[in-house]
Amino acid sequence: MPFKKPVQKFNAAINAVELGVGEKKIVLGGQNVMPFYTFDNAIENPPRIGVEISDLGFEDQVPGIRDFYAGCKTVADMAKKAAELEDVDFVCIRLDSADPNGENAPVADCVETARAVSEAIDKPLVIIGCDNDEKDAQLFEKVADALQGKNALYLSAKEENYKSIAAAVGLAYGQKVGAESSVDLNLAKQLNVLISQIGVDAKNIVMNIGTAASGYGFEYVISTLDRVNSAALSQNDAMLQMPIITPVSSETWAVKESTATEEDMPQWGSAETRGISMEVTTAVAVLASGSSAVILRHPTSIKTVAKLIKELI
Amino acid sequence: MQQITFKIEGGEDVVAYALEGENLLEVARKVNVAIDAPCSGNGSCGKCRVRLASGNLVCPPNRHISDEESKEGWILACEAAVGSEDIVIEVPDIASAYRSRMKIADLSDKREAEIFENIKNSIFSTGIGMGTGLKKIYVELIPPSLDDPMADIERVGNAIEEKTGTPVKLEYFALKKLPNIIRESDFSFCCLIKQEEGCSVLLDLWDEHDDHPIFGLAMDIGTTTVSAVIVDIETGEIISKASSGNGQVRYGADIINRIVEATKKGGLEKLQKAVIEETIIPIIDTMCVSTEIRNEWIYTVCITANTTMNHLLLGIYPDYIRKEPYVPTFMELTGIKASDISINTYPGADIILAPNIGSYVGGDITAGTLSSMMWNDSEFSLFIDLGTNGEIVFGNCDFLVGCACSAGPAFEGGDISCGMRATDGAIESVQIDSETLEPTFGIIGPKGQKPIGLCGSGLIDCVAEMARAGIINPAGKIIADGKRIKQSEHGTKSYVLAFREDTGGTKDIELTEIDLDNFIRAKGAIFSAIKTMLEALDFDLNVISRVIIAGGIGSGINIDNSIRIGMLPDINRKCYTYIGNSSLAGAYAMLISDEASQKVMELARNMTYMDLSSNPYYMDEFVSACFIPHTNMEYFPSLREEIENETRKPQSSDIQPGKQRG
Repeated sequence: MPFKKPVQKFNAAINAVELGVGEKKIVLGGQNVMPFYTFDNAIENPPRIGVEISDLGFEDQVPGIRDFYAGCKTVADMAKKAAELEDVDFVCIRLDSADPNGENAPVADCVETARAVSEAIDKPLVIIGCDNDEKDAQLFEKVADALQGKNALYLSAKEENYKSIAAAVGLAYGQKVGAESSVDLNLAKQLNVLISQIGVDAKNIVMNIGTAASGYGFEYVISTLDRVNSAALSQNDAMLQMPIITPVSSETWAVKESTATEEDMPQWGSAETRGISMEVTTAVAVLASGSSAVILRHPTSIKTVAKLIKELI
Repeated sequence: MQQITFKIEGGEDVVAYALEGENLLEVARKVNVAIDAPCSGNGSCGKCRVRLASGNLVCPPNRHISDEESKEGWILACEAAVGSEDIVIEVPDIASAYRSRMKIADLSDKREAEIFENIKNSIFSTGIGMGTGLKKIYVELIPPSLDDPMADIERVGNAIEEKTGTPVKLEYFALKKLPNIIRESDFSFCCLIKQEEGCSVLLDLWDEHDDHPIFGLAMDIGTTTVSAVIVDIETGEIISKASSGNGQVRYGADIINRIVEATKKGGLEKLQKAVIEETIIPIIDTMCVSTEIRNEWIYTVCITANTTMNHLLLGIYPDYIRKEPYVPTFMELTGIKASDISINTYPGADIILAPNIGSYVGGDITAGTLSSMMWNDSEFSLFIDLGTNGEIVFGNCDFLVGCACSAGPAFEGGDISCGMRATDGAIESVQIDSETLEPTFGIIGPKGQKPIGLCGSGLIDCVAEMARAGIINPAGKIIADGKRIKQSEHGTKSYVLAFREDTGGTKDIELTEIDLDNFIRAKGAIFSAIKTMLEALDFDLNVISRVIIAGGIGSGINIDNSIRIGMLPDINRKCYTYIGNSSLAGAYAMLISDEASQKVMELARNMTYMDLSSNPYYMDEFVSACFIPHTNMEYFPSLREEIENETRKPQSSDIQPGKQRG
């Protein structure tokens, strides 16, 4: 009997969500096959890579990152530099300065930063908050107003503050809402339902289902990604078909494998190499489990992951 | 030593003496002043509110008492310590409500007896026969004489053996009555015999002219409520029915708190005393007095109770029930007599205990399963007992699986700030106008009764209506605005069902987001238990052809609303039946029929106990069920269809950009 190749193509697909405008705009998701299963069906939109910068700069970062941004005077300069990287599909600006427990920069200043960054680049923009639910809600509302027509993505709306963020970002200013939950399929779905019920089109939602650095309870992240992907494709669950974006760098650059100095851990070798390894390993694992985009920091990591994606798709 | 005067609303004053530093709740307990403390006095439930009328005591501020209330003298009894002066404490009636005043049922109301009649008929229609080992024998003796000086005991023994064909043993109780009864009755009297293997036991004897029926007592001991019937064992007729709150409630609302209390020094004796002396004995006395029956005419007692309750009843150390691997001291137990635990019936009365099948599925469920009749049906039934714990049995005539889920006390008023048991003043049904957000109620009690709190069925209605009216989102957060929406200083919102001036209590009746969280977890526990159990058996929800609801909460339960909030499976509403207190009905059947008792033992032996806590899928199902109605709408096809039929209208009107977050 001749061999017949089985094809695992689903009748459902991940939503295709457009980010940015103009020539450099990108599409996240759209696939109806398992991650990287190009042999089952063509994957039109390969996984995308974003580069993360902070409005606090990278003073304390590893040499590779510091050197890369050397000479940049403003955040907008950094964004411009980052966007010039060939393998970068979008730029993420993290508005860390807004944190009420940190610099507590006024909303207006952050809006200015976001506007300057947006004007400095032609690639799509992702706005990341300061991880304070209330401040993020105020912040995103104003930034979304200032960036009307830019079709940016805002990370993130959570169960605690989704109402005002989704209403401002998704409804009033027609941009993309990032829905963040904490590594649980049901919680991810519940938040999507809540945001949809406000009236935001499911096609304007991107999920961040939460992540960890590999080795830090990471198997739970992977199994959640697997299950979300499988529910979206095999069960045609419309409330789980939003493409997934995973902010990898903020996790991996904070764990001891990346932060321990060479003086403290001589047997571990170069700190920078370790940090890159953590970033690449984590990113590759979440991509292989169904994430449609990853956010990274180190130019070497970006280059490595981009090469992997190109080889596979 | 300070004098503490408890002024009990609607009752008499009680005076106690205490040393400086003594805990007020403990002082109240010592003198039997009933103050409700479902959390067993650790300051978490806020139910033990009393008012300091005069004097001074030491009391830290507590989140359950607002500043305004604090100025008026309101305190939590469990947090207060006696100070250096005499004090007067006002105990509001609502705090004593847990006693839920013993209630004698009106048996002239046909519905009361009908439940038992129906169950009796359906059980006996399956071929199970009525009848117990107890029977009356009428004996006539030849009086002794100088020529025939045989001892009384032999004389009676021979006469009985002639009729029963087996040798006779005498109970001590009968022996003591023997010499006088046979002579006063002129040697013609009635004997009560218990037929045992190879012998007849003489339990009692009496003058033929004072003949009386043989009575039995069936009793369901619930975590919250105890109810009982006295039955004529020979005819099956119900003579009296009564219920009362379980006296153990003040030591904790749920079984875990009771077990913890029992492990403290003297705790086990205290809990046993609370259920026997304060609950069971008064119930029996009241029923006997009202029907002019003597206590010692009750010759058999059948008790159905959950595993923890039957352990505490017998004074058995219960701690291993709650500790891994969750092993109770007994499942089936025979040979216990009324005198062993000092119950005021015939002292040698056998106590028949319905068997447990696991730590959290006890005799109340095995007896309830008998009443549910699911064991006689080839179609699949789901039997749900909604009490302080939710227990679920699924199966048919070929197999039965049982499990328990910790729904918590929400359905019986615990864990809910305005929660209460289904007694006078409880809101038992709610409707909310979706335009004005104004509620209308059904309240338990006489006409004109003011609302005091929300009982289980009212709670289900209220949440379903709040969801329908758009007051809450599916996650149970309040999203509407209006005069009935309040916000605390900590940002927690609440919906006011009744403002203080319209209530019979001391504060607004309101449902807070914390209450909603607790409720959603309770309903999620029930649904996820059903789902997990069926999933483990590889069945879908639609195989269920009948759902039998039992339990105290159930009488007024609105099935449609229970489905709308995602607590019960979305199948045809007509498949649901409510059978009331199935446990008591099962106890009743076991009391009048030995074969029914055997059937319950057989059901228990054949029932598989499923421990949900060790099921890896349970947690997942639980999180997924903690949403209104559910994260997976495919489990609720009729609700999904309804939503799809509605024209999609975005609710953006109240959330405009630029508007401050509430």
